[in-house]
Amino acid sequence: MTTPGASSAPTTDHDARADEDEDGMGAEPDEQRSDTMLLARMAEAVYWAGRHLERAEGTARIVQVHTDAHVDMPVGEDVGWEPLLAIAGVDSEFAERYSGAAGSDDARAAEEDVIEFLLHGDGNASSILASLTAARENLRTARPVIPREAWEACNNLWLSSTDHLAEADSREGRVRWLRRVIAGCQCIHGILLGTMSRDEAMSFLALGQNIERADLTTRVLDVRSESLQPRGADDPYDVVHWMAVLRSLAAYQPFRRAMPARPQGDSTLRFLLQDDRFPRAVGACLTEARAQLKALPHSERAQESCQNASMVVASAPVARLAVGGLSEFLEDVQLALVEIHERIDDTYFRPNFVGWEPTAVTR
Amino acid sequence: MDLTQPWGTLEAVTSPTASSAPIAADSGLPDWPSYDPDPMYDELVGPGGSPRPAAEALWRHLAELGPEALAERQVAAEREIRAIGVTFTVYDGGVGVDRPWPFDIIPRIIPRDHWQLIEAGLVQRLAALNLFIDDCYHDQRAVSEGVVPADLVTGSPNFRRECVGVDPPGGIWAHICGSDLIRDDQGFWYVLEDNLRVPSGVSYLLENRMVTKHIFPEMFRHYSIEPVDPYVGHLASTLASVSPSSGNPTIVVLTPGIHNSAYFEHAFLAQQLGVELVEGSDLVVLDDDCVYARTIDGLERVDVIYRRVDDLFIDPEVFRPDSMLGVPGLMRAWTAGRVALVNAPGAGIADDKKVYSYVPDIIRFYLGEEPILWTIPTYRCSDPDDRAHVLANLRELVVKPANESGGYGVLVGSQATAGELALAAEQIRDDPNRWVAQPIIQLSTAPTLCDEGIAPRHVDLRPFTLLGADGAYVTRGGLTRVARRKGSLVVNSSQGGGSKDTWVVDAPADPGIAAGFGAGDGTSS
Repeated sequence: MTTPGASSAPTTDHDARADEDEDGMGAEPDEQRSDTMLLARMAEAVYWAGRHLERAEGTARIVQVHTDAHVDMPVGEDVGWEPLLAIAGVDSEFAERYSGAAGSDDARAAEEDVIEFLLHGDGNASSILASLTAARENLRTARPVIPREAWEACNNLWLSSTDHLAEADSREGRVRWLRRVIAGCQCIHGILLGTMSRDEAMSFLALGQNIERADLTTRVLDVRSESLQPRGADDPYDVVHWMAVLRSLAAYQPFRRAMPARPQGDSTLRFLLQDDRFPRAVGACLTEARAQLKALPHSERAQESCQNASMVVASAPVARLAVGGLSEFLEDVQLALVEIHERIDDTYFRPNFVGWEPTAVTR
Repeated sequence: MDLTQPWGTLEAVTSPTASSAPIAADSGLPDWPSYDPDPMYDELVGPGGSPRPAAEALWRHLAELGPEALAERQVAAEREIRAIGVTFTVYDGGVGVDRPWPFDIIPRIIPRDHWQLIEAGLVQRLAALNLFIDDCYHDQRAVSEGVVPADLVTGSPNFRRECVGVDPPGGIWAHICGSDLIRDDQGFWYVLEDNLRVPSGVSYLLENRMVTKHIFPEMFRHYSIEPVDPYVGHLASTLASVSPSSGNPTIVVLTPGIHNSAYFEHAFLAQQLGVELVEGSDLVVLDDDCVYARTIDGLERVDVIYRRVDDLFIDPEVFRPDSMLGVPGLMRAWTAGRVALVNAPGAGIADDKKVYSYVPDIIRFYLGEEPILWTIPTYRCSDPDDRAHVLANLRELVVKPANESGGYGVLVGSQATAGELALAAEQIRDDPNRWVAQPIIQLSTAPTLCDEGIAPRHVDLRPFTLLGADGAYVTRGGLTRVARRKGSLVVNSSQGGGSKDTWVVDAPADPGIAAGFGAGDGTSS
């Protein structure tokens, strides 16, 4: 805790080390730090913190956008709330927990159940609150390697979200609660970007973040397009749907700036799969993940699977996929993402240390 | 919490809204707060309710703020502590619950001329105790020359045979000491305990100051307050100074894990030091007797371990075989001189109530100096005369087990039932070696914000002393712990105790008060 003010504080005559400056660091023989080491356990904690933060933010945005879009749809046309469960990948967990309510005709009840389940439902390990809790626990473990302010922001987000949970019961309060979560996650990312050294811990955080982002984008595309494909391009609600897809990923404005076309199937797919500049496009996530891997030791195998995934995405026949076969294609992408994760996991989090030569620490 | 404020927990609610009009400097002292600590010795206020010289500006400011603004600031402080996540873990029915760190916003003030003597006294004490520990594991000159009985050393449960003959760097065993200091009803300072094993609390000391700076920024204009932050830098150089390797040492903090009650502090210190926080399973000792950490780049050698795991748990090969917290082979690496352990295993030999009673003699023997700090007269029940005195006066004494730490098994005679006293007498007769007794000291008080306003509550003080191969350092001030219940002498945070920021200020001591340093320490010897 060295403060600029401390160095100018007067040295007192009873200082047992009166020849040193006040923070005691100046007298160290060697100002150069050796290579900072990163414990495998810490790397895993920051990686998962990155994933959970991204999942919390992503889920919050999807729920928020769906609530907005739901309001737009004509009565009787709405797609209901179930797609949200599919995007979050928790449809079976939901069915298990709410089996009684599933057969109910009361749409309002279904909305409340789905929202509750996604925000903080028991039995939903990927709920927004569960993700925030997991992110906080991981950052707590990783406190020594992340900026103090980032931990505080995450702790604060978790406390506020928990304290204000009851607000989310109404549609109006829900929007506010979700916006807080999104803003809170963005605040943490901002702190990390603005104050964290671009060290190995940061690389693991960014890896978790980008893999989770890519995964979420594929899941949004998968579920949304499934409900969209029967529609014709002339259907006015087709545009509304694709706009919702883009908005779910905070991609509408970037899409408008980057693409001359209206948001339709092929243009949206091209943007969300192949764009290399929009941070939530799968292609951009993979490029970023690979760049982070390059900065890490022993990353060859993970880089290789990253490159494979990039090739799959880059060669996607988007025009054809807009009319059919998208689900199968996205499943391939998701499998490629799983492979990247597994290789990171094998290499860094569960390595066989017995076979590793001790690295000589620079002396 | 205010629901209209989206991020209420981070936003300070206090603007300095004094609820009463500022009092002109010449209008004399206000009648609020009305406060009379008599008959106890109070840190800030003299008999009759006038502040001591060093506390005048603070007292005036509290009066100007008035009760409502003060209560608001207390809320703001608690909010900040919660938001920044300063917690300690208490165990309730085997389940650990994180509680926000309890903090009272009214600081405690110690004049600098007192502090200079305390500081010198703590350094003297730690230097002598280190010489004593080193002696215990080598020639035992203190025994052969009759300073302490042999049983005090080899008969102690804290004596570790595994440490005999080991020469840690600089001959230092206890690098970090968290002493407990108290003042009696005269304001005399005493050392109550030397905690040489894994003393905790320094993170709270540092965080308390941070919060106070945010809550009372204006007070720092009235006082020249010694900064506490330099501790971390001195800790870093103390750790580096005992590295067995040349060059830039790799330092780690070893924690029992996230469920330990002091985990917040372990993480805080690792973060502040800029080093890794490891658990036992992150480390491995190879055939070369070196300690390695499991990093993403393979195994990397570790030079210095600031261990916050108890002796008996650090190495299942040597101590408790069931320990999951330790590192197999760690003692082997340490005795081979390949890694520094801070504090060294076996340092607890000097952290014992019976050794405590010999500390004045230990200081004289090793340093040839008179002790600066006073020691509380201590009756050793192993001595027949002392034992007879203790048994005849149980009601006026505090009876303590000699080898426990953390206040376990302590009996305060004046507050005990007849049954408890009878049981204590029986235990003393059964195993007199285990017990010591001391007169009951009425702890000093400090003004504390309570439900009924500002009221006196008992306090103690835990400063932290560092001793490295490159010199010594003492925190400026320490962690003041405060009993929150009226009349209570229990300051432990696990039992409802709170804490205060502690200011060492460049302001005069109360001229009428003898502080109790140096000759006349009143020990029983």
